[in-house]
Amino acid sequence: MTHFFRALPDLVRVGLAGVAAYRAEMAIWILSATMPLVMLALWDAVAAEGPIAGLDALDLGRYFVAALVVRQLSSAWLLWELNQEIRSGRLSTRLLKPMHPLLQHGVDMLVAVPLRLLVLSPVLVGLALLRPDLVWLPTLPHAIAFAFALAAAWAVNFLIQALFAILSFWIDKSDALFGVWFGLYSLLSGYVAPMDVFPEGVARVLRLLPFRAMLGGPVEILAGLSTPAEIATDLAVAWGWTFALLALVLVGWRIGVRRYGAFGA
Amino acid sequence: MLRTTSLLAALLRTSLANAMQYRADFVFDGITGVMRVFGVLVPVVLVFSQRDEVLGWTAPELTLVTGLFFLAQAVLTGLVEPNLGEVVDAVRSGSFDFLLLKPVDAQLLASFRRVAPARLWDLLAAVALVGWASSQLPAPSVPDVLAAVVTGVAGLAALYSVWLLAICTSFWFVRVDNLRFLLWSVSDAGRWPLRVFGPLIRTVLVVVVPIGVATTFPALALRGDWTWGLVAGAVAVGGGFLVGSRFVWRRALASYTSASS
Repeated sequence: MTHFFRALPDLVRVGLAGVAAYRAEMAIWILSATMPLVMLALWDAVAAEGPIAGLDALDLGRYFVAALVVRQLSSAWLLWELNQEIRSGRLSTRLLKPMHPLLQHGVDMLVAVPLRLLVLSPVLVGLALLRPDLVWLPTLPHAIAFAFALAAAWAVNFLIQALFAILSFWIDKSDALFGVWFGLYSLLSGYVAPMDVFPEGVARVLRLLPFRAMLGGPVEILAGLSTPAEIATDLAVAWGWTFALLALVLVGWRIGVRRYGAFGA
Repeated sequence: MLRTTSLLAALLRTSLANAMQYRADFVFDGITGVMRVFGVLVPVVLVFSQRDEVLGWTAPELTLVTGLFFLAQAVLTGLVEPNLGEVVDAVRSGSFDFLLLKPVDAQLLASFRRVAPARLWDLLAAVALVGWASSQLPAPSVPDVLAAVVTGVAGLAALYSVWLLAICTSFWFVRVDNLRFLLWSVSDAGRWPLRVFGPLIRTVLVVVVPIGVATTFPALALRGDWTWGLVAGAVAVGGGFLVGSRFVWRRALASYTSASS
């Protein structure tokens, strides 16, 4: 572990340089992640005639702006990187380094988070100018709870991708499988609609799934829509998933790496 | 003209044979295809569980737009998109030379060399959705249907042109993958009627990434809500994009220097 902390500054520098090399690309990525704004337009139109499931137009607006932010700040692209490395054999060089490959990737992806916020800020400023009613500041307790929820959202996303990437030690189509997962995520995480709009029974189940921990949970906290009790449940569920997934990934990685024979071997 | 059609048929035949080598993919895509349908329908169901009507669109009418959206997606992802990556690679590696040497129109060859047959699932979804929606709506008159066909075809032609323009950028730039993602995420907005959006996004969806012309316009026509202006606008957008992209394609070809030089 001391290893890791001694290497950390350099890892951060390398990660930042990597991100900075593809700035234009990142801007396009972010532009293409503005889907919550489309949903915002839709729900805005629906809510114009009166509140839905207890949410008025303002709540919904803030919900989807928060969704835009959370989606950006919790993003990782581990699956594609790792898949490529496993298939091409480039993983070998990473395995030689005296540090867990997932840790190396983790630092890489974490340093991109503040940069993403930076690139996202023009979108947010533009939105604030167009719709000043959507500007709000979360209270301090909400902000603190949000920080914890966001950290869990990022971790769950990262670990899930790690899990799918580990599958590529055995199968070819792990990214196609991830496509199925991503489809479920878009539907069930609160990306297309807040949980409250779903039928009561469905919503109750959704609150316990990792999908909500990745988006809907932190979004509702940031938008100030959750009660303290809901926040407590959300955080417990999210961190529960984080640790469960972490254990699964560590075990899976050990088994998977044994199958890894490097490319051409 | 006859030569072009037979060439097109031959291209589709060979690309289909090519793609059919990957049968497992076909089934797999069926699964993701079903999920895509759910992904698009769930918000519609959720919206209409709260309201009977949204901005003057009833549930069957909105489903009609959704069905047309799937149709446009099927055409784009099944016929046009697979070629984009192909041309980009060919331009980068220089194997585009071989394509240019063939004594047929390069644009045709470049844009229909590959198909993704798995997108038939999207087409099936489109037919099912449009079928269900039409069964819930009063039957449209003949002029309505004609107007829908004209606007729909114009919309598809315009979309094809936009993707061709994206292909063209690969003659000048190296990384166009992200442009592709951008196009997809913008065109995703096409599954909602244009009225949902503000004037700015609406304009974008008609004249920049003209998915609205292929989805909302025909849906309006089918419910008898069309004007000559709407049809003329669609034709202008479709024709304009076709001619414009052809022009840019020529310019792009002229600047192609092969990989070695």
